[in-house]
Amino acid sequence: MKLTVQVWRQAGPGAPGRFERHVVDGIEPHLSVLELLDALNEQLIDSGAEPVAFESDCREGICGACGVTVDGEAHGREDNVPSCHQRLSGYADGSILRIEPLRAGAFPVVRDLIVDRGALDDLIRAGGHVAVDAGTAPDADALPVGEERAELALDFAACIGCGACVAACPNGAAHLFAGSKLMHLSLLPLPSLERQRRVVAVVDELEELFGPCSNYGECARACPAGIPLTAIAAVNHERLLAGLQRRL
Amino acid sequence: MPSSSPTSSVIQVGPPSPVPRERRHRGVPSWSLKTAMAITGAIWAAFVAIHLFGNLKVFQGPDAFNGYAAWLRAVFYPFFPKEMVLWGLRVVLVIALGVHVGAAAIVWARGRRARGGHRVTLRGMRSWGAWLMPVTGVVLLAFVTVHVLDLTLGLAPVAPEGFAHPEAGVAHAYGNLIASFQRPWSAWFYVAAMVLLSVHIAKGFANLAADLGAMGRRWRATLSAVGGLLAVAVLLGNAAIPIAVQMGWIA
Repeated sequence: MKLTVQVWRQAGPGAPGRFERHVVDGIEPHLSVLELLDALNEQLIDSGAEPVAFESDCREGICGACGVTVDGEAHGREDNVPSCHQRLSGYADGSILRIEPLRAGAFPVVRDLIVDRGALDDLIRAGGHVAVDAGTAPDADALPVGEERAELALDFAACIGCGACVAACPNGAAHLFAGSKLMHLSLLPLPSLERQRRVVAVVDELEELFGPCSNYGECARACPAGIPLTAIAAVNHERLLAGLQRRL
Repeated sequence: MPSSSPTSSVIQVGPPSPVPRERRHRGVPSWSLKTAMAITGAIWAAFVAIHLFGNLKVFQGPDAFNGYAAWLRAVFYPFFPKEMVLWGLRVVLVIALGVHVGAAAIVWARGRRARGGHRVTLRGMRSWGAWLMPVTGVVLLAFVTVHVLDLTLGLAPVAPEGFAHPEAGVAHAYGNLIASFQRPWSAWFYVAAMVLLSVHIAKGFANLAADLGAMGRRWRATLSAVGGLLAVAVLLGNAAIPIAVQMGWIA
């Protein structure tokens, strides 16, 4: 099939950006959006032009490295699918695809389609980890965790940290990301020991770096890991509980 | 942090960002603003439900409606002085409205800023519902102002000609209402406001569930159902009154 690509080109952070128009011919419809960019880059390299910079790693939807905005939709047209699995078969032959970086105030463009998603790392640094000094690993059954609880924690732990939730959000909020971390950790025995302090630290960081949540629900539609919308309620749930509890 | 804490007081790990990020340091946190909006919104939703119940007495005739209006001024009399409950409710409602609108304006502005001026694509009912909240909110604020000038304060030019203020235990609410709704612009503005109000209430209850941290499936479904039922009741019940007056069914 033949596709016209309008791709965002930006030399560096703060530099002015613009859309560049290219035609990619003879591309198979079963290929992904990223493979379209690969084909475009081969074309650009052959003609001596600078290839389009974009991030990708595993190309099987588990790493969270990739992420571009296609026609205004984070990752692409299909819901809950990362850019590396967005197939071109969803587009008619001869159609125009506008490909730009993941867009959010918290994600400054580094180059072309690459954005700095380090603000998400700042959230993890504030409290998205376990800092309990637990000594050597305990026996597997020393701290029993119910199956349902373990499964729920794993559902929230499925987040691959791609940042599509922030890019899809009209408010530039990271509640789906933060909520999934908070729930994943507060459901398990050792991480739950620092539940209160974690949510205070994470929400403080969330307030400083990202926007407020207005319950648009765009995040859960874009999320390639299928994090449920209840994760955004988890932020206020955990924060309100921490405020009500006695400080320890 | 006391020594009973299982971890050290500092839980920052990894190197800090080499590039200083753009941060927002001041002001009331958004999560408290959203919680305040949920609570004040619930207060107004409760008021709207009670107001609807009172409004429906218009279909029982002038005596029932005027009697109810007079009773509102003497609720719990003689335990409370006359009009005390009425004024107490008015003060609570005005404060709640101020908090609700103020918090909404701040959240809206913060959202625009955090988006960074980029275009958004809205997909689905939930998204459009959220987009409609500030839109319906602004119109409803105008409606509340007009409604109070029209049927509470009786101030021209909004109020109908011949607006009668209540006097010594006698209310003229029925006559005022009929006079107001006999003007087509007043009736149809009221109907339009009720459509927007029902949208605002339905989405508002879903937002309330999320903002108060309801994560359970049953809690979320219950709150959405209550919001949906109230929205339908408000739309059908309230909008029926101006339509009935315009059609000449009640006069």
